[in-house]
This record gives sequence, C-alpha cells and structure tokens, in this order.
Amino acid sequence: MAAADSPSAALRRRDLCSRGIRLAGKMRSDVVDLLDIYVERQGLDASAGVAAVEGVPVAAAERWDEQTGTQRLLENLAAYRAFRSLLAQMLEEQREQLGDADAALGQALAAVLLQVSAFAYHLEELLRLESRGPPSEEGAGPPPPPNLGLFERKLRGLGVLRELAQWAVRSMRDLRQLAKPGLGSSSAPSLTESP
Amino acid sequence: MFSGWNWVAHGFYLLLSICSLKVSGGLVQSCGHIIPESPVLALGSNFTALCILNESCLDFGNIYANQIIWKIKNRVVPKEQYREINRTVSSVTFNDTSSLATPLTCNILADGQIEQNIYGITVTIGLPPEKPKNLTCIVRQVAKLTYPMTCTWNPGRHTFLDTHFRLKYRWPQESFPDCIPKDVNNSCTITDVQFFVNLEVWVEAANALGKAESDPLVLDPIEIVKPLSPRNLSVNSGILPTVLKLSWENRISAAVMKLKFNIRYRITGDTNWMQVPPEDTASPRTSFSVQGLRPYTEYVFSIRCMKEDGVGYWSDWSEEKTGVTTEDKPSKGPPIWRIIDASHSPAFWTVHLMWKALEPFEANGVILQYEVSVRAKSSLSSPPEKYNVNTTSLTLKLPNGTYEVTVIAHNRVAASPPSVLLIPASNSKAPVKNVRTLPKDGKLWVGWTAPNSYVLKYVIEWCLVSDSSDCIIEWQNEPGNVQGTYLKGDIKPFKCYLITVYPLYADGQGSGQSVKAYLQQDRPSKGPTVQTKKVGKAEAVLTWNHLTVDEQNGFIRSYTIFYKTIDGNETAVTVDPSKTEYTLSSLTSDTLYTVRMMAYTDEGGRSGPDFTFTTQKFGKGEIEAIVVPVCLAFLLIVLLGVLFCFNKRDLIKKHIWPIVPDPSKSNIAQWSPQVPAKHNFSSKDQMYPEGSFTDVSVVEIEADDKKSFSEQDLKPFDLLKKEKSTSEGHSSGIGGSSCMSSPRQSVSDSDEGETTQNTSSTVQYSTVVLNGYRDQTPVQVFSRSESTQPLLDSEERSEDHAGGGDSTTHRQQYFKQNGGQDENNTDRPCFERTKQIIPAPEGDLVGFAQLQISGQSSQLLGVGLEKNTQEAALSDVLQASAEGQTVRPETVEGNPLSIDEMPKSYLPQTVRQGGYMPQ
Repeated sequence: MAAADSPSAALRRRDLCSRGIRLAGKMRSDVVDLLDIYVERQGLDASAGVAAVEGVPVAAAERWDEQTGTQRLLENLAAYRAFRSLLAQMLEEQREQLGDADAALGQALAAVLLQVSAFAYHLEELLRLESRGPPSEEGAGPPPPPNLGLFERKLRGLGVLRELAQWAVRSMRDLRQLAKPGLGSSSAPSLTESP
Repeated sequence: MFSGWNWVAHGFYLLLSICSLKVSGGLVQSCGHIIPESPVLALGSNFTALCILNESCLDFGNIYANQIIWKIKNRVVPKEQYREINRTVSSVTFNDTSSLATPLTCNILADGQIEQNIYGITVTIGLPPEKPKNLTCIVRQVAKLTYPMTCTWNPGRHTFLDTHFRLKYRWPQESFPDCIPKDVNNSCTITDVQFFVNLEVWVEAANALGKAESDPLVLDPIEIVKPLSPRNLSVNSGILPTVLKLSWENRISAAVMKLKFNIRYRITGDTNWMQVPPEDTASPRTSFSVQGLRPYTEYVFSIRCMKEDGVGYWSDWSEEKTGVTTEDKPSKGPPIWRIIDASHSPAFWTVHLMWKALEPFEANGVILQYEVSVRAKSSLSSPPEKYNVNTTSLTLKLPNGTYEVTVIAHNRVAASPPSVLLIPASNSKAPVKNVRTLPKDGKLWVGWTAPNSYVLKYVIEWCLVSDSSDCIIEWQNEPGNVQGTYLKGDIKPFKCYLITVYPLYADGQGSGQSVKAYLQQDRPSKGPTVQTKKVGKAEAVLTWNHLTVDEQNGFIRSYTIFYKTIDGNETAVTVDPSKTEYTLSSLTSDTLYTVRMMAYTDEGGRSGPDFTFTTQKFGKGEIEAIVVPVCLAFLLIVLLGVLFCFNKRDLIKKHIWPIVPDPSKSNIAQWSPQVPAKHNFSSKDQMYPEGSFTDVSVVEIEADDKKSFSEQDLKPFDLLKKEKSTSEGHSSGIGGSSCMSSPRQSVSDSDEGETTQNTSSTVQYSTVVLNGYRDQTPVQVFSRSESTQPLLDSEERSEDHAGGGDSTTHRQQYFKQNGGQDENNTDRPCFERTKQIIPAPEGDLVGFAQLQISGQSSQLLGVGLEKNTQEAALSDVLQASAEGQTVRPETVEGNPLSIDEMPKSYLPQTVRQGGYMPQ
C-alpha cells in the first residue's frame, strides 16, 4: 500500500486506469464489430440465444457496488485470462476451419486477443500497484475445451464474444471506480454506482 | 653444364611433386593453408595471418616456412611483416587493415627460382554498425480498424558490410515478431498495433563485425496516431443567408480516440483560407454550422482532425466541398453619378445617369432590375418620374434645374436602400483644392484638400486622354471623410489621365477640380518635327507642333533645340514646352545648318528628325538698299538725258538726221536758168528744221485744171520715160523717196562749186527741172544735188547728154512718192516729203503739190492722182496743218515699194510702169 500512496504510484494508477478504460472501450467496440463479422462468417443468427458456456466468466455480478478495488481487479484479471485462452482457442479453430481464406476474421480475432492480453497486463500492473501482485496463472485457466461439434464450437465462440463485450463494459466501470480520487483500491465504492 | 641441367631437372621434379602430391581420389591436396580463413576485419585494426605448410610437402619438395612469400593481390608484402614461427608456419602482420586487399596469398619460392602459390584467402574489411539513432514512430491510419505503425531511424555510418536492421517491439509481458525492413535500412512498418498499452520499440543493427541497439522508445501507439481525415463532407445551406452547415463522417472510432477538428473555408476564387476558431471545434462531432458568411456567396470547405488532447498528428485535410449561402437583400444602393451634356440646347440638359453594379458582397444575390426615380426639386408636389431598367445607365433629357435622382437595386429577396444623387442647377458649392496625384504601388493615388464645408461624399472622375479615342469617363465614389484614394480601375502606364474631383454636399455640389496624371512616365515615343518658318541672314525662326498626347508618354518638361553647321559644334537651346516657335539668332550667313529637336519628359527625351536650312546671304533690306538707289540713279540719269536731249534736240537732230538739200527749197522763183538754184532736198520724209525752209512754193491746184493736165504737161514725163526706157543715164537715181531707200543709193558728185545749204555729204538727190517757171521758158536743166550718192552712169550720160545741147524739153517733176500702192491712201505712215516744182502756167493742173506752212513742220504729202483724190488729200493735209500738228514722217512702215510699183502710185496717169522716175 505504501507504493500506492506515493504520488508517482497514484499517477501511474490513474494512467493505467485511464488507458484501461479506453482500452476496454476500444475492445468492446472491436468485439461488437467482430461479433458482426463472426455471425456472418459462421452463418449464425445474430439474435440466436446462447446458453451460458462453461468456462466463460460471467460479467454480471451480485453486489458489484460492494466490491473492493482489488476484488474487481482480480475478477477482471481472471475473466480476461480466461478470455485470452478462449480467444486463442477460437483463433486456432478458425484457422483450422477456414485457413487463410478468411483473413479478416482471423485478423479481427487476433486483434481482440491482443487487446484482451493488453487489458490483462493493465490489470496485472494495477494489482502490482496495490502491492498485491497478480495471481499466478497456473490453475487459473479455463478448463480444457470439451470435445464439441463444429456448430457447438461456433455457438461457444459467439457466447465468448458476447460475454467479452459485456466484460468490456463492466471493466470500464470497474476501472472508473478505481480511478476515482480518494478511493482506495481496497475500499468499496459508493452505492450510487452500479453495473 | 651439368649443374644447370641438374637444376632444371630438380625444379621440374619439384613442380610435379607439388602438383601431384598426395593425389587421392582425384583431388589435389594443397601444400598448406592460411589461418584465418576469409576473415572479416574491422577497418583500421591490426591483423595477423598464418600460412601453415603441410608436413608432406616438406618431404617431397624441400620447402620450408622461410621460403614463404606473402602477397596482396600481386604485390609482395614486405618481409619485415613476416615472421617464421617454425619450419612449417609463417605469419604476416598488418598494423592497419586499410592496407589490406583481396586476395591475400601465401606463396613459396621453390629452390629460390620458381614462385608457387600455396593458398589464398579473401579479406573483407568493414565497420561494425553504429547505434541507430533518432528513432521515431507514427501510426498512420489506413482504414477504420487498421493502424500500421511506421518507425524510422538514423542507421548511422556506412559499414561496408552487410548490415541487418531489425525493429523490435514488445509489451512488458509479451514480445512480438521483429519488423524487418524491406529494401531500406532506416524504416519499418508494423502492420497493426494495439493501443492503450505501452509498447517498447527499439532498433537492432547487426553485421559481421558486431551488433548495436538503439535506445528503446516506450510509447502508447494511440499517442502517435495520424488519423484519416473525415470523409463525406457535405455543405448545406441553412435558413440564414450567412450560415452553412457542414456534415462529415469520422473514420476513427470514438472508442479509439476522441477527435477535435479544424475547419477552413474560403470564397470560391479566392486563395486565402479562413478558419473556424479551433476552440469551436475542439470536441468530437460530425457536423458544424459555419456562421458569419456572406449571403449568396460560394464557399469552399475542408476539414481535418486529430486526437482530442492534441497528442498525435493532424490528419490530412479532407477533400474540398463547396456550398452557396442563400440570398439576402442588397446591403446598399448602387453608387450613382451623372454626366450632363448641355451643348445641344441651353434650356435642356441631356443627363446621362450611370450607376455601378453592386459588388457581389453588396448585391447579396442576383440584381434583377434597378428602379430609378427622378424628381425635380422645383416641383416637389409632383410625383417623381420612375424608370425600371436592367442596365446601369439611363439617359434623360431634362429642363435645366435641380433634380434628385434615386436608384434602388432589386434582387430576388428584396430591394436595396436607395442611392440618392442631387443634381443641382449649377455647381455653386465650394470645390476641393490642391488636387494632386501620386503613383504608388502600381496604382494611382489621388489626393485633395477638402473644402471647409461638410462634404457628403466625393466623386472622382477620370478618363484616358488620347487622340485616337474619346475620353471615356470612369468614376468612383469616396466617402466624405477621406482626402485621397486610389483609382479603382485599369490604369495603364504611359497614358495621360484627366482626373476630376467633385465634392458632393447635402444641398449641392462643388465644381470639379482637374489634374492630369500619369501612372508611369516614359520617354516620348518620338521627337518634335522642327522646320523653319523664316530664314534670315543671321537668324531662323523655327516652328514645330506639339507632340500628340499619345506620343508624349509623360509630361513634356522641356524642348531642346540642337543646331549645328556641317563642321561645327552642336549648340543646344532649351525651350519652354509651351512654345511652338523659336528664333535662332547669331547664325552665320549663307551657311547650312542642321537642326533637330528633343522633347523631354521626366524619364528622358527623344529626338525628332533632322532638318537642314541655309541662312541667307543678304539680310533683310540689304538688297533693297542697293537696288533702289541704283534704280533711282538710273532713272535720274535717264531723265536728265531726256531733258538734255529735249533741250538739244535741234542739235541732236542735226547730227542724227543730216540736212538733206531740199529740192523744195530750191526756189524756183529764184531759180534762173543760168544759175540754177540749188535747193536742199531731202528725200526722206523727215521733219525739216524750220530754218531749213527758206522758200515756200505754193502750188495751187484747181479742180478745174484737171484737164489742163494735158499731154503737154506730161511730155516731160514722156520724155523722161522715153529716156528711161532707152537709157538710164539721165536719172540721178534719186531714189531716196523710197521709204526703204538708202540715202546712199544715189550719191551726187555735184557739190563742187555749190553754195547751197547742203552741209552734209549725204545730199542725195539731183533735181531735174523740166519746165519753165511761169512765163519763163522752161529750160531743161539738170540741177545737181549735193548728194554724195553715186550717180548712175546713165545719169551721168544723161547729164552729159543734156549738156550736150539736147533741145528736148523735159518737164522734170520732183514728187513725193506715197510709197503705197493705194493712191487714195493719203495718210499712210510712209511719207516722202517732196517739193514739187511745177513749171506749169497759171491754171495748169499740177500733178504734185507741195505744202509748206510757215512756222510749222512741213509735210509733204504724196497724192495719188489716178483717182482724183487730190483735193481730199489736200484738204486733209491742210486741215491737219491748220490744227498745228506736225505730221512727222516716221520710219517707213508697211511694205517697201518695189521699183515697179512706185510709179503706179505717184506718177500721173501718163506715167507708166517701166519708166524711170526719180524717187
């Protein structure tokens, strides 16, 4: 906590939060665009409902406003690490499925994957500023992908992207909470904020 | 001999040994090698190479390390750089690799005679890479989701070696593949970068001699973005005529970055851009309304964007789009002026009203028409005359007076405020003063001193003064608070402009004050043509015409006359430019002068053609002064001569016309047969001096006595005729009666012993008296005249014959021959004065008459008898004599009579042609 109290640490955190917010915003924008591409290229219905996919973190949170900053960061970090693995799997599956024929989808997936990685890096840096340090990734990853059929994989990918979009929104709000001056990362935000 | 062959054989053996040494598997094994093999050396470093001989070669060829020769290309390395390490190894050392070259060979001198290459290496010399510097990166957006990042750096010095550059970048927790430049060594583009994460970027340069890295650059790529410019810019007219609304589409997501904008615009055709205040467009947006524009004006717009916080780069300007504001009512009325022509009628003006079309920013639309109202100030109650015109002028014929003219411009929206011009009956107000001009900045500035009264505005008129075209008036309005302005028109250099300034008052107008001006002057295009008006002895009056306005090219400041003689120096005289005549004085008389003339403006002068003239030899009056006295003297002399001659006329006559013995003066009455009287007789019909008439014989001729002109009387004539026909000797040739007869035709030699009045030797006649006088018995006597005319032989003979006692009585007549063929013509100019001695008895008709009037010049008239006109002739003569007129026998005129003709005129009818007659 001592590091967090220093002016440079505060500036660093504010900068990380600011850029994290903007990164989350861009990530959401890109994911939304990717969703359109994905639905189109995979031949899915944009309005198709997707049940919760196992291993995909859910953005919705109970008592969100009661979470501390560290909790938020940890939840976010866990989610984005999971998305990183899921998107990597999707990218691999997309390459296996379409090869280089659909470079746009692959590039968009890769770009989102990079942004997820970047956002995870932001979260890790923020956790370091909390003098806590990021948790190890060992064992925190998603479960190995089940043996799914092609369509199921497509639906699963759709679910991943939709949930990522939700997480992007939540992450922006989480970081805004963290960026507010006077609020310690470990303190709970005010009740006025809600996801 | 033997040893020589032995050496050759040994060398040949050695060569074969080297070449075929250890032939194994078809490959030739070298006798040695160099270490290091093909090294890459840093420029300037030291270098040592070793040449190692194979042991096998020692056995076969007896070659050792001390026989090794190092060569660079074909140049032997100095042996000082060699070092024999052992019997098979030789080294060579170079302190500076810059002296190295490729190849470096190791050679051996077999038996000191034959040099054989053992091995060679390639030496590469270069430099290690420098540390790349000035690494910069920019993210140029190329598509909505594509953000390639291009980094550039300074690669440093040339290394002479193959140097590879790599752009490396990484996140703190993740590395990315290197970016390898293609074809260049100073930039590389990363195809896609992710924003909002710090990226560490650096450049690595590497070659055979080493590796170098630039300082790392840590940045968030979002901070170095140059976004794409907004697209689909559109311009829409707003409700207000001064507003245009712009709309566009941003090509970078707001999630990536928020943008701010620059909007620039200009009027179409103008080159200067205006810009919307940046603070008005500092926030993200996709539209903006530009205000404060001119109505009915086409504008060009363009827009650009960058990151809202100003970190990064501005995009390029977007494509330009145009838009036109809507119309508004004209902001002002058109400037109006007039030209009044009062020359046609004193009671009426021809008023040319003219106004200027409004500028686009004043018209605020399309002017459809002008409404002109003319109101006479004298009759305010009457409605004004209105005219709707589409042009910018109107000509009216108005009675003299004061008028108020109003012009209103209409466009599609509304009418302009009225422009009012007061046309007073006379420009009685105070004019401006001190109108002056000044060329400035390629324009003509006009200044004036304002009058004391408040001036509403000024009107500046100007026109180009030219001989080839009329003065077309241009004009402009200026507000009343200025005292100078630039002429707004196409003012040409070297042209004369007449500029007039009128002050306009609220209640009248001042008279115009004019000035002539040039925007730029030049030398005259030609010089004046000079010629002489009058040339005198020492002066010449030169005249010339002024140059035309088109030829002047400026204000003529002066003329200079240059004149000179052929061999003299040129003299220059400066003449006032207003003059057209000048008198050159102190010229040399009777000298050829060449004169030319130059006209000068402020920019220089130009000479006209040469003109030559010659001064006169005499001055004015000199000739008159000589001629007049000479003439007067001549006239005086003549007059004196005439007077002298008049006074001495008698004396002169005496000398000019010698006194011819006049037969008539041989007074028959005094004549005695024994002593024949001698008379002066002049055969010429000239005036005798009065004194010469000593005797007067009066012959009375009576008409009744015609019959008495008997044969008896004519006998002598017959005799004479007879004698004439037979001999010519009896005649003395007294032919002097002929007008043309020469006085020398008959020269008498009978002057001896004579005491007559004949004082001249030119007495020409002899007188023959045939008849007696009165009652006396006629005796035929030859009376010799004093004439010097030689006598004819016949005369001599006749005289002799007469003297011989010929008893034949001849009636000798001496008569005046008329000389004309017409006997009736008694007044012929040719008269012969004769004195007829008629020895006729009383009452006899004498064929000849001689009249002598005492105191007057006698006149002898020849009277023709054949037509019996003697009386008439005689009466005429008498009449003429009575009138006191002297009929002078003049020189003979008319046809000279031939000898054959003369008797026909003067002889009595009995005298026939062919007979000899005294003349």
